[in-house]
Amino acid sequence: MMSQHPATWGQPTPANSSFNQFNTFPLPQTQRGQSSHAHHGPVGHTQQPLVTGTSVLGLKYDGGVMIAADNLASYGSLARFRDIQRLHPLGQHTLLGVAGDMSDFQWLKKELDALLREEDALALTDSHPSLSPKNIYELLSNLFYARRSKMNPVWNAVLVGGWDKVKKESFLAYVDLLGTTYTAPTLATGFGAHLAQPLLREAYEAKAGIDGNGPLLTKEEAEKVLEDCMKVLFYRDARSLNKYQIATITSEGVDISDSKSADTYWKFAEGLRGYGAQTQ
Amino acid sequence: MENNGGSVVAMIGKDCVAIASDLRLGNQAVGIASNFDKVFPVNDKLYYGLPGLATDVYTLKEHLRFRVNMYRMKEEREITPKTFTHLVSSTLYEKRFGPFFIEPVVAGLPTPTELDPHPKPFISTMDTIGCVTTPKDFAVAGTAADKLYGVAEGLWEPDLEPEDLFETVSQTLLNAVDRDALSGWGAVVHIITHDKVITRTLRARMD
Amino acid sequence: MALYHNQPMAHAQEPTAAPIEHRFNPYSDNGGSILAIAGTDFSVIAGDTRQSEGYNIQTRYARKVWQLTDKAVLATNGFAADGNNFVKRVKQRLEWYEHAHHKPMGLKSIARMIQTMLYGKRFFPYYVYNILGGIEEDGSGAVYSFDPVGSYEREACRAAGAAQSLIQPFLDNQIYFKNQQPEPGSQPFIPGNLPLATVLSLVVDSFTSATERHIEVGDGMEIYIVMARDRTTDDLLGEGKLQKGMEIEELGTLGEGQGERTFLVRQALKRD
Repeated sequence: MMSQHPATWGQPTPANSSFNQFNTFPLPQTQRGQSSHAHHGPVGHTQQPLVTGTSVLGLKYDGGVMIAADNLASYGSLARFRDIQRLHPLGQHTLLGVAGDMSDFQWLKKELDALLREEDALALTDSHPSLSPKNIYELLSNLFYARRSKMNPVWNAVLVGGWDKVKKESFLAYVDLLGTTYTAPTLATGFGAHLAQPLLREAYEAKAGIDGNGPLLTKEEAEKVLEDCMKVLFYRDARSLNKYQIATITSEGVDISDSKSADTYWKFAEGLRGYGAQTQ
Repeated sequence: MENNGGSVVAMIGKDCVAIASDLRLGNQAVGIASNFDKVFPVNDKLYYGLPGLATDVYTLKEHLRFRVNMYRMKEEREITPKTFTHLVSSTLYEKRFGPFFIEPVVAGLPTPTELDPHPKPFISTMDTIGCVTTPKDFAVAGTAADKLYGVAEGLWEPDLEPEDLFETVSQTLLNAVDRDALSGWGAVVHIITHDKVITRTLRARMD
Repeated sequence: MALYHNQPMAHAQEPTAAPIEHRFNPYSDNGGSILAIAGTDFSVIAGDTRQSEGYNIQTRYARKVWQLTDKAVLATNGFAADGNNFVKRVKQRLEWYEHAHHKPMGLKSIARMIQTMLYGKRFFPYYVYNILGGIEEDGSGAVYSFDPVGSYEREACRAAGAAQSLIQPFLDNQIYFKNQQPEPGSQPFIPGNLPLATVLSLVVDSFTSATERHIEVGDGMEIYIVMARDRTTDDLLGEGKLQKGMEIEELGTLGEGQGERTFLVRQALKRD
């Protein structure tokens, strides 16, 4: 029997734990590996992701930036929560797209929302400028790097999309649990880095060129590319869902779409032995 | 590879080829001998180098000598560099699941024939199980392979005359093996031209 | 006694293998390469701009080379997050120094500071190879290279990073003239004396070679050139002095300015 628990996924289950084979709630004392030892050394910070979100995609276009993520929060191989929003707006001109551990994401939301409330209050009373996307990204980077340095990582990969009011240009950047940071006109986390990033780069460079000096994609073109990518991810990423949202960040502010689905085609499956109806 | 150390490089020039190797034989980090030749002649137009596990160098060299002699007797002609490459390759692949720890490098000048009166200089190299590549510029193998790539990529240029090719291959080899703990302890260079083979032993760092 | 002996024996037969720990690994390797070469009155510090993790290119433009002062430029290579945060801390220390002493820190002092900062994290190291280039107090071009825990030395040139093994032997040959002898009767070779134009083309050759043969190197490169006080810039800014495809900009002075000038040359590299 194969273990379904995220901590031991894919490993054979110990013979003496035949009950609760599909642990559908986290068990703190779940056995790791097959050892009878309960010794794990001193209690550490080190965690592992339990309820996780998969790829997030980001793409700069003419007049703004788009971020896409599906609505699934998986528990190992179980599609546990199917109506989770992984796009989170921060203030007027910034939005996070979050992959990885969803409880760390919720903690992050709480912390950042609290900070933004303070900032908003300050911005009312004097000429205190509101936090720019770059400010928020810097803060996130420092937070993630500090936590990894304490060996207690925030188990996420985050895309920060935004509109810089001063420079009048879009902002798109990445930060992850190691504190690794980078920016690029197209970004993707996790499986998306393998499956979607090549498609995003191809579409971006087809118009803007390799130096990015040409015209950018229009809003409609960008949305089409992202929808194609989300479809490809749904076809091939087993931890994805055909229900996703696209956020658009422009000088006008943040707009998060309603959940939508890509049109998928499964006719080919009928002809596959072991997939469609058996004819012999 | 890392057991005995050693490196080989081959380069194409204008109507000439070069093949060179270091002379070290080691037991891991300990140097054992500074006269361990890894480059051998097939005939006066074709040489090959066998960097890798020293015991396999001997075995493979003798094995190939036997097979080349058989070829010579049956065909009553000399083997071409290309055919020899495939001979080495299939010899290695015979031991696909228990390979010789050798990455051969072949360098030769094909003799002109009626069908091909102006054959191009030929080099090739293989992995331990005989997967062949035939570069148009240079081939490297052994423990200093990455260093050899870097220097050769910087120094090599097309259509070098024999003496210039000698300088290029020598500088490439010496400077690469000087940064490799498992290669060095002397070097030998062969320049193969249509009328002669020039073999020179180089003065090198002995540390 | 028999019991006493049996007890530990029985214990020893139990499976002693610890459970397979999925311990969090706080490091990563982000590829790329850096290099610096010193001249008599200039210093060149360069790096490629690709940032990767495994076979994934994360971005085609990420900085690895940083202007610290008017006469110091630092290149970092290894784990990018450590590199960025290390540079951030170095810059902060340099700012504190300037507030305390009303002058920018000298190059050799920056080098020593970097060694103490690196060694300060000896038991949780910055996974970064640093190369510091610039102009020394006496006006000479200098290069300092460091290992991740702070060992350092002043050199005429140094390559580091993913393609170190490709570039360093080439530099040994072309900068230190290793395995070369001057013609009988001619001047002896002196490392660190090459003209700027020669150094620049060696830097370009090093990176195009590394790009050709190493998958983690490519996309673009940034070459910082620090010129000593009152040095001519004709060999850099003059007509036709730059190679094809190069773009140059002068970086303004960071402080009061004592005559040193820093230039940044960018050039595209292959993206495959």
